[in-house]
This record gives sequence, structure tokens and C-alpha cells, in this order.
Amino acid sequence: MFLKVQLPWNVVIPAENLDAKGLMLQKAIVIRLMDEFATKKATKDLGYFLAVTTLDKVGEGKVRQNTGDVMFPVVFSGITFKLYRGEILEGVVHKVLKHGVLLRCGPVENIYLSSLKMPDYQHMPGENPLFLNDKSSKIEKDVVVRFIVIGTKWLEADREFQALVSLDGDYLGPIA
Amino acid sequence: MAEKGGKGFSLPPKGGKSSIKSSPLKEASIKGKDDSSTKKKGRKVQFDSEAVNFSSKSGGKDSPTTFPKGKGDKGASGGKGSVSKVPQPLELRIEQELPKNAKCLMACEAAEILEGIQDRMTTLSKDPSIKIPVSFDKGLQYAKRGSHYTNTQSVRRSLETLTKYSVMDGEICVIANVCPDNVDEAFALIPSLKAKRSIVSDPLNDVLIDLAMVKK
Repeated sequence: MFLKVQLPWNVVIPAENLDAKGLMLQKAIVIRLMDEFATKKATKDLGYFLAVTTLDKVGEGKVRQNTGDVMFPVVFSGITFKLYRGEILEGVVHKVLKHGVLLRCGPVENIYLSSLKMPDYQHMPGENPLFLNDKSSKIEKDVVVRFIVIGTKWLEADREFQALVSLDGDYLGPIA
Repeated sequence: MAEKGGKGFSLPPKGGKSSIKSSPLKEASIKGKDDSSTKKKGRKVQFDSEAVNFSSKSGGKDSPTTFPKGKGDKGASGGKGSVSKVPQPLELRIEQELPKNAKCLMACEAAEILEGIQDRMTTLSKDPSIKIPVSFDKGLQYAKRGSHYTNTQSVRRSLETLTKYSVMDGEICVIANVCPDNVDEAFALIPSLKAKRSIVSDPLNDVLIDLAMVKK
């Protein structure tokens, strides 16, 4: 799910960027904010950070005593993407394993669809391994699959999510 | 209610002998809490009867005809389900997780905004000090693929009419994103809607017809 978020953050502008006035300061704040937004990558609550859309408010700067840097409290809006349990999404298969397949969905790289969660499909080993059901529907590399999210897990160290998904239900499966 | 309690109360001889562990009592007290808003008087009596009801139920066997009527019976089994073990049904509950400063967006809405940013990107990317999040491109790609409509505003307007049938924002966005052909597909993919099926079915059908008209 894409989310529209509004966040209060603090942006620190180094002393050397403060010499020019007005517009230049505004620009420095925006650049610094975008930099921090990009560096953060994702959070557990909001998912993957995609873009800053607007800078809504810039508060009064406070000078930091030791460095002379100035810290500005800002409020900005942005767009994020997060997977939710029960959500219906589409993913692209990037690896076929014996017991299931790995998919990508937007910024999420590690989505696992276990063979237990696609009971009609049989694993067909070979040079290009794939999963096949009795209606000749194939799940192989680069196929787009519509699935339901069963669970997600936030990995703090990598700042990313993993997800488990299922095809158990009507209207789920490979998309032509 | 008092009457039901009374009915239950006549049962003790049957259920009384079965060993009551701590759980029936707990159930009874939980139940009691639930009831506290409705009536205070005579609750004690109900407590007992319910506890007994529960234990005799777990004992099985006798007089099944009276049990389904017993209120305690219902409360006990419900309590059991919510307290432990039984996994939550696989349903969308975005609203419970969503921080209050965040709002769901339909993929087509996200695509519009992200494409707008991408258009400005050519000028932005000339400035090496501006960093673009690594997820931007993949997010944009996904949003574009999930945007099935020619007119985002009319999709939002049309789907928002469903909020008066207590369809949640998260459900609305999933409907827009999967772009179901008919109500059956919508109910199959978003089982949380099934609880409101009787009231939502017709308006949802109208909305899906609207969506089909602005489909790419």
C-alpha cells in the first residue's frame, strides 16, 4: 500500500551553509531534508521511503552551541510504500526454488511464496525450474503473480522488510 | 437476560461435578466485565450459572438442546477464541496499524504524484547534492503498473461513496488497486468486506461499474 505521510523532523544545517540568506537557506534545508530522507531508506511503521513531496513548515532555527550549526524543526509530506497483512498485490518472480518462489514487489525484494501456499502447483525441476498446475498455469521466472500477504517482518539491521505471501484463494495466481 | 441466567442456573446438578479449573472462572469474570455496562444487579447469580454452563459444556454429553440458548456458552467460546491460540483471520486491518499521520493512497494516486516528481527529476538530477531515495524508481514502476484508470479523481470520488457503508480507507484503496471485474471478485479478495456484504453489495456493484468506465 502506498501511504501519504506527514512527518516532523529536525534538519541540521552546517554553519558554512548559512552565509547566504533567504532562498539559499530554504534550498539548503530542502537538500539536507532530502538527503536524510534518502539515507533513512525505510522505517518499521511507514515502510519504504519513496519521495518527499512538500516542505510544509520550517520552524525557528536553534543554534547549536559547540558547532555553530543550526537545527531547524520542519514538517514535510512524503510518500512511502508498506506491505500489510491481508493486502492483495502483484509481484514478479525472480527465483524459483524447490519449495517455493521468491518475488519482488515494488521496493520489496524478498517476498516468499511457499509451495505449501500454492497447493495446486507442482514443482517441475529442470534447467528452467517452474511450478505448474493442472490447468497448465505456470509460475516461472519473470512471471507476474497476484498474491495475498500473510505476514511481514521488519529487519532492523538491513532496514528492509521480508514478506510471506499466499495464492490460497480465488482470483489469485499468475497474471497474463 | 435475567431469564436466561435463571435457566442456566437450573443446570448445576449436571455440570457441577465436572472439574472446574481456573479457566472457566476466568471466562466468567471476563464475561462479567463485558456485561457490566448493561446491568449490575443480580450479576453474581449469572456468574455462577455461566461458569457452570461453561464447564458442563466442556464436559459434553448432557442436554445439548438447552445449551445453545445459554448466554454463558456463547461468551465462553468467544472469549476462548480471542484470548489465545486461534490465529486471526487473514483480513485487511490497515487502520489498526496505520500511524495517525499517515493515509492510504491508491496506486493511481501515488503514480500521479511520483510521475510529477519524476518530470522534475531531470532538472533535479543535474544537482549532485540532491539525493533520490533508492526505492523511488521501483515504487514509481509499481505504482504505474497498478494504476488502471484514466481519471484518478473520479475513482477516488466514486469509491469514497462507500465510506458511508463503513468501508474503510484501506479497503477502498485495495479495491482500486486490484480493479475487480465484479463484486464476487472484490469479496473474494477482500474478505473483511464480507461482514458488510448485505449492505455493501449493491453500492459496490455501482462503483465497480463506474470504475469500469474509466478503466484504461
